Amino acid sequence: MPDLSFVFAQALSGLTAAMFLFLIASGLSLIFGVLRVLNFAHGSFYMLGAYGAYQFVHWLGTGPGRFWWAVLLSALGVAVLGGLVERFLFQRLYGKEELYQLLFTYALVLILSDAAKILWGTQQKSVSRPPGLTGALSLFGATIPYYNLFIILLGPAIALGFWFALQRTRAGRFIRAAALDRETLGALGVNVNALYTGVFVLGSFLGGLGGALITPMRSVVPGMDTEVIVEAFVVVVIGGLGSFWGTFLGALIYGQVLSFGILFFPRFSIFSIFALMAAVLIIRPWGLLGKPLK
Amino acid sequence: MIRALTLLLAAMLALPIAAEAQKPIKVGYPMILSGSGALFGEPALKGAQMYVEEINAKGGVLGRKIELIPRDTKGDANEAVRVSRELILKENVDFLVGTLTSAEGPAVSVVAKENKIVFIANIPKTDQLTAPDKLHPYVFRTSANTTMEGRSAAEFVAKWPVTRIATISPDYAYGQDVTKSFVEHIKKLKPSVQIVDQQWPKLGEADYTPFINAQLAKKPEAVFSSLWGGHFVTFVKQARPLGYFEAIKLNFIGVGEAGSPETTKALGAEYPVGITANTYDAFYWTEGPPAQREYNARLSKYLKDEYPNSWAIQGYMGIHVLAEAIKKAGSTDSDKVSKALLGLTVDTPHGKMTIREKDHQATRGLLYGQVVKDAKYPFPILKPIIYVDPARFMD
Repeated sequence: MPDLSFVFAQALSGLTAAMFLFLIASGLSLIFGVLRVLNFAHGSFYMLGAYGAYQFVHWLGTGPGRFWWAVLLSALGVAVLGGLVERFLFQRLYGKEELYQLLFTYALVLILSDAAKILWGTQQKSVSRPPGLTGALSLFGATIPYYNLFIILLGPAIALGFWFALQRTRAGRFIRAAALDRETLGALGVNVNALYTGVFVLGSFLGGLGGALITPMRSVVPGMDTEVIVEAFVVVVIGGLGSFWGTFLGALIYGQVLSFGILFFPRFSIFSIFALMAAVLIIRPWGLLGKPLK
Repeated sequence: MIRALTLLLAAMLALPIAAEAQKPIKVGYPMILSGSGALFGEPALKGAQMYVEEINAKGGVLGRKIELIPRDTKGDANEAVRVSRELILKENVDFLVGTLTSAEGPAVSVVAKENKIVFIANIPKTDQLTAPDKLHPYVFRTSANTTMEGRSAAEFVAKWPVTRIATISPDYAYGQDVTKSFVEHIKKLKPSVQIVDQQWPKLGEADYTPFINAQLAKKPEAVFSSLWGGHFVTFVKQARPLGYFEAIKLNFIGVGEAGSPETTKALGAEYPVGITANTYDAFYWTEGPPAQREYNARLSKYLKDEYPNSWAIQGYMGIHVLAEAIKKAGSTDSDKVSKALLGLTVDTPHGKMTIREKDHQATRGLLYGQVVKDAKYPFPILKPIIYVDPARFMD
């Protein structure tokens, strides 16, 4: 029996991973829920968020709060890019065969990864943790870095904010309505195109934000786009594509299975996740909290 | 269509003019040029290209220029096999040099054997590449192998006042083989050593925290790690705030070039100074051989980089050894070059290096050092650099 402080530390590390995955996967799930497209390029937005954070930190020099400004500016930049992509390219594909949409997002993955290589080269980039959050906290015998703690708190905050916006605001009602029946919504006089652009911008923002916030914990390298998209897909598949709380639950499960999986299958921790995903797909093909597609 | 025809016509006209004897010697260079491995594959290619440019400027080899034909393996063994076949069948290359990972090297070795074409692996370290059952006349290696790297690391750790030792390595050929060599050798050098924990994150792992927690729970006194490149950077970013390096009192040895300028540059002030690590090369190795400093001066100019890359030497040495073998053979016939490679001694920037007859392995030296801060550079360096001659523990 491992001692409790270790179990606690392990659970918290799983929680940190979960909240990052939630940030990234929620954007993917939102876009799918409303637009009914699987956006493969979501991982590319995450990667651009990370490179953007590196770039802004670099440009901002030694100013106060530069890390936070860099994260915000980078996520906003990615959101604008997402909006442009949706408005000028993606919108031509609505109503066409789904295959075209998949091909388009896949092409976008290739283009953006090459663009990143041209802009930033192949050398790995690194961003330090923000000055206020460099230390660590000792809790029940476990060491918890402040930055991880911040991420653990940020995840639920964003989840609640999101939930509130979807349930209680006018835009949220439109988004929910668009997810259910876009034709009727359009017939009621709502500008569905603008709504779609808005959702895409928001989804891209979340992807970019995840990428920017992860930079103090991971090296920024080419290829990080495709690594994360697989993880994000697993999360939304477990939780249920398009389901908001499903994504949250999927991320929580993913984090804990990964953290504790290595204790039972030290060399096959990733296997436990895929086994779980397979089990979910067999029992509930639409995910734990998802709804079967009509 | 017309453009294509014109090109074809031009090519047909140009062909007979280029005299048959002046045809360049074609060398295929399968290397990771995209994805996260590209940050090492790219400079390795640059090193090879620099050598080719230099030798061609001097008239080439046997009066013929060398033409390097790079192909992207995407870090995938299947893709490496595919592009190698394509290089041999479509481009008609005379030789293959290259590959980066320990998955690609052995895969391409099989292609070289089938096609009877000399292949010089310039980066993969896994012992399996040239193990007795895998060895064939056409495969050679100019990098160190996992036995040499694991054992040299064990020699350092054996001198530390520690007995409880743990390992953390990526779970694929390189990580497994180098860790095995380290563990076997340290047990031999210091029988009181206990291996208290072994972690095997997958290659490409992005979240090391659970592995770090699990390792710390076993209370090791020292750690051997073969995490390399971006993985090492990510690992450090997650291990430092958890107090990992303090817990083991900086008794950490990182192989896989964890001390290379590229890696210390990427981590900057976050690098856990005080640990021991290795590198392929170091431009700041002032007490090194004059040829090494001279090579770095040329590379610095070639790359337009004040702090030239340490992985470039891998590409440089690989193609250098091939060129010397062609010279010695007086021919570009793979069978003759393969024979010429046996026992060939080459003057590399790091000193004399011999390709052993028995296992086709170069007696490649290893560079280690303690990572320290130095006011002269904006990133930590190894100081002093210790050159380990592997000859005595290669068998």
